[in-house]
Amino acid sequence: MIIDINTYIGHWPFRQITNNTPEGLVNLMDKAGVDKACVSNINAIFYRNVQDGNEELAQQINSCQQFGERLIPFAIINPAYPGWEKDFSNCIDDLGMKGLELYPAYHQYKLTSSTSVELLNMAAEKNIPVHLPCAIENMRQRHWLDTKEDLTGDNVAQVLPLCPKTDFIITNGPSTAIASQLMSLTQGRQGKIYYDFSRIGLLNSNFEKFVIAVGADNVVFGSVMPMQYIETQFAKLHYSKLSNEEKEKIMYKNLKDLLKL
Amino acid sequence: MKNNKVVNWHEHVWFKPGTKELNEEGCDQLVQAASEVYMDYLVCSLPISGGMPRPEDIRLCNDTVAKAMKRHPKVIKGMAFINPGYTRETLDEIDRCINELGMVGVKLYNHYFASDPIVRPIIEKCIDLDIPMLYHAGKLTVGPESQPFLSNGEHFAKVAESYPEAVILHGHIGGGGDWHWSLKAMSDYPNIFTDISGSVHDAGIIETTYKMMGADRMLFATDGSFAAGIGKILGANIPDNDKIKILNNPRFAKYLERGMQ
Repeated sequence: MIIDINTYIGHWPFRQITNNTPEGLVNLMDKAGVDKACVSNINAIFYRNVQDGNEELAQQINSCQQFGERLIPFAIINPAYPGWEKDFSNCIDDLGMKGLELYPAYHQYKLTSSTSVELLNMAAEKNIPVHLPCAIENMRQRHWLDTKEDLTGDNVAQVLPLCPKTDFIITNGPSTAIASQLMSLTQGRQGKIYYDFSRIGLLNSNFEKFVIAVGADNVVFGSVMPMQYIETQFAKLHYSKLSNEEKEKIMYKNLKDLLKL
Repeated sequence: MKNNKVVNWHEHVWFKPGTKELNEEGCDQLVQAASEVYMDYLVCSLPISGGMPRPEDIRLCNDTVAKAMKRHPKVIKGMAFINPGYTRETLDEIDRCINELGMVGVKLYNHYFASDPIVRPIIEKCIDLDIPMLYHAGKLTVGPESQPFLSNGEHFAKVAESYPEAVILHGHIGGGGDWHWSLKAMSDYPNIFTDISGSVHDAGIIETTYKMMGADRMLFATDGSFAAGIGKILGANIPDNDKIKILNNPRFAKYLERGMQ
């Protein structure tokens, strides 16, 4: 079984993406053998009113029973925009979304801003995790209208003490460096921190070293489909010398427990 | 596909940290890792990325590659790293590396744009010897000042206009940067090839390169990113027979064979 933490539907403004509908994404999942995927709507990042994007996501997933069984909606909330509390409540309580996904670089706020911290603590109260993608596309190829910032280990380190009960999933970034930076802050912390390995290499046993350093209990599978080839992540799992038990935790068990699936 | 040879046209061996000696352990690990993922040949160079390396520095790099070739003669083939800034010494070094050390081509970095007139004698030498030029390349949209003389497809197109008989290999189309830019700039020139290496594994990068360049002008490579290289070729939606061609491009077979004599 595989559960993917990091997938999208919606329009990416800076290059053509295919399979960016629920149907296309589920087809990719079928081809790759992914059972369930956490999904957000890229449109919500670029609409001034994120909630329109969240509602689109819910409508599209609800349009087909199979989408509802396979796709796990995550809400993109902008805590710097009026009505974010209502957006949050609407997404979690009414639309049944299972997690939050935040893009401070795109929405131009600091994770440590008062409304952001309030949102992060609300997530903990609702017992839902917060997904923090460090980036969407590689920095070196960014379109001239795209953000020139990635989420950094510093950004996360500064906010962790302000929301001690919040569970975070950090993806699509330099996981080894961020995990190393956050190590002392996460020990004994009530909320858990999970990392994906989408940007960790295969050579020099870097993937295994990362899993050993953070523990298999804290690693999840993230592909960035349909924007990146999922086979890159499979190559790391396939050629790694991790035990089957460790691989199972990474491929689905950790997310299954976290999301109470 | 396991029954077909796999040639990795862009890899590196390095100095042991703090020394000017071959990192034998790293070299052995690279070869071992290549064996585990069914790569048959690694075409390696040892470039100096910063500053303006002197002829004696470059000889040391190439001697070190020659040691790696001797250490793993069935797997490692050499690319001669050169700096076009020292014309006479560079021409001599190309002769030495090709004719004495048995290397298969030259590797240029970012010391000069490929279209700089200072590179012309090098291009003409490579034409005379009938060897390919692998050029470190990319169109950085963020932080281009970090590599002010980094060549991209536009520079190679200018070279191809002047030298249609040269064999120009754009290094790592997935090495970071706007890969559409380079593909659009160089796709009309049949003597420009590209390797597919680099950590960027955007879905569609292989399909787009295939559409614009054709499998005949694509070469499998990893440049340190084994997982991304494997993921891209496995994940790409192109015919298997063309994947096989990319994995061991027959257009470049004669260069590899020369390195085996």
